[in-house]
Amino acid sequence: MTRYAMVTDLRKCVGCQACTAACNAEWDVPAGYARTRIQHTPVQGTFPDLAAGILVAQCAQCDEAPCLPACPSGATHRDANGAILVDRDVCIGCGFCVAACPYDARYIHPVFKKADKCDFCAPRVARGQEPACVATCPTHAKVFGNLEDRESPIFRLVYDQGAQRRETPAIQVGPNVYYQGRPQQVALVMNAFPPRAPRMPAAGTLWEKVARPVVLGAVGLTFAGQAIAFFHQLWHGEEDYED
Amino acid sequence: MKTSSIPEHPAPLSGEQAEAMRQRHLKKHHIAIIMLHWFNALVWIWELTTGIALISTERLRVVPMAFIQTLTELAGSRANLMRLHLGIGFTWIVVFLIYGLFGWRTYLSQEVLKREIALDADDITWLRIRVLGILGRSKESLPPQGVYNAGQKLFALMVYAALPVIMATGLIMAFHLFGTAVVGWAALIHFCAVGAVFSGLIIHVYMGAVFPEEKPAFFSMFSGVVNEGFAYSHHFKWWREMKLKEQTWEAAHDQAAQAPTEAETPSKH
Repeated sequence: MTRYAMVTDLRKCVGCQACTAACNAEWDVPAGYARTRIQHTPVQGTFPDLAAGILVAQCAQCDEAPCLPACPSGATHRDANGAILVDRDVCIGCGFCVAACPYDARYIHPVFKKADKCDFCAPRVARGQEPACVATCPTHAKVFGNLEDRESPIFRLVYDQGAQRRETPAIQVGPNVYYQGRPQQVALVMNAFPPRAPRMPAAGTLWEKVARPVVLGAVGLTFAGQAIAFFHQLWHGEEDYED
Repeated sequence: MKTSSIPEHPAPLSGEQAEAMRQRHLKKHHIAIIMLHWFNALVWIWELTTGIALISTERLRVVPMAFIQTLTELAGSRANLMRLHLGIGFTWIVVFLIYGLFGWRTYLSQEVLKREIALDADDITWLRIRVLGILGRSKESLPPQGVYNAGQKLFALMVYAALPVIMATGLIMAFHLFGTAVVGWAALIHFCAVGAVFSGLIIHVYMGAVFPEEKPAFFSMFSGVVNEGFAYSHHFKWWREMKLKEQTWEAAHDQAAQAPTEAETPSKH
């Protein structure tokens, strides 16, 4: 069993953007879009007691990922390693998953017109390499590994040293990207960048709540009507229609 | 002209008359339309099957997951399933465009649509009596109908409205036209339009293939002809129109036969 996860140590991250540059280069991410991004919290406190935090954000391959059930066609799916992938040949680019993601980790690729996001560098991992951002990080702030492996460094970081998921009491979707650091530093970042509630565009909501039941009902009713007429016909026999 | 022998309203026929009518045939469908009909039927079976298997999320799917998984495995992958849906869909659009282009005047001109599928006063009465009759609340006889009855016309109107919508929304999704938000709406509208047509399709298939009274109409989708008896009792206005046309043609033919020199000599004026 494999369940990949990532831990970012906020004490080590200096916000140098090496990870985002590596990611952009590895996956040809178009300008203005990001699979992973660095966000700075506003500076807190008064001089000289200042504090600021840096968030390294990316798709967290969540355990209860809202993007999965939002995708109409099954283009968004989970692979055997727990990573969530987008099959570009199946994606229609409707954007339902983009709205669903509480971490805004998805975007519609302007060239392919399909949903795109971090997949923990699944093709690199399959070749036995680390994800590009992890391999590049000059301060080794990022750790990548298998949470099912009790001997792995990431297991100890998550289960012994208390690396945290970016969740709120309201939004808990089981992200597999964790953060560790000084408590006040982690709290600063968590408070500044909480996950948002998953959304569904109006078209998707209408589809789910109205169109699907109405179409199922209409088809069911006409089918039942014809079935009754058919049994009526069987019961009474066919009259000679030409007379 | 023997117009007087063609009744203006359907009258009960004697056994002999009915038998004679049953032996004669009227042409109802051109071979091109018969081919288009069965091509369209195959495409609908294919596109419906692959289409409902493509909607896989539990929030939107309309068939059990086992069906979706079976179809995906049969196709090899979901990408293949999508390719099969799109490939046949494109073929369908191209074939309909070619038919539309060449058959515009014959099948789609305003005059033809008005004559064949627009509802008239008789149709409204027909629908009222038919629905009440099925509910056992009316024993009135049905008013005479044109080449298509009011039920067929209603289905045709829906299909004529839905087909361009299904095609356009399909192309919008396939080529991601007009941006992400539009693609989302296109998916919804594609689903609704297909759902509406499919509801009608259940009635269409039942009436065509199972309902005893309409059996001549079913066989006419293979042979292209219906017997006159069926046309007389089910599509009287069309029958009358065809008979009048026949008579006019025969009269012209008789005239030409009686005066061959006059007709064949070019006018000197």
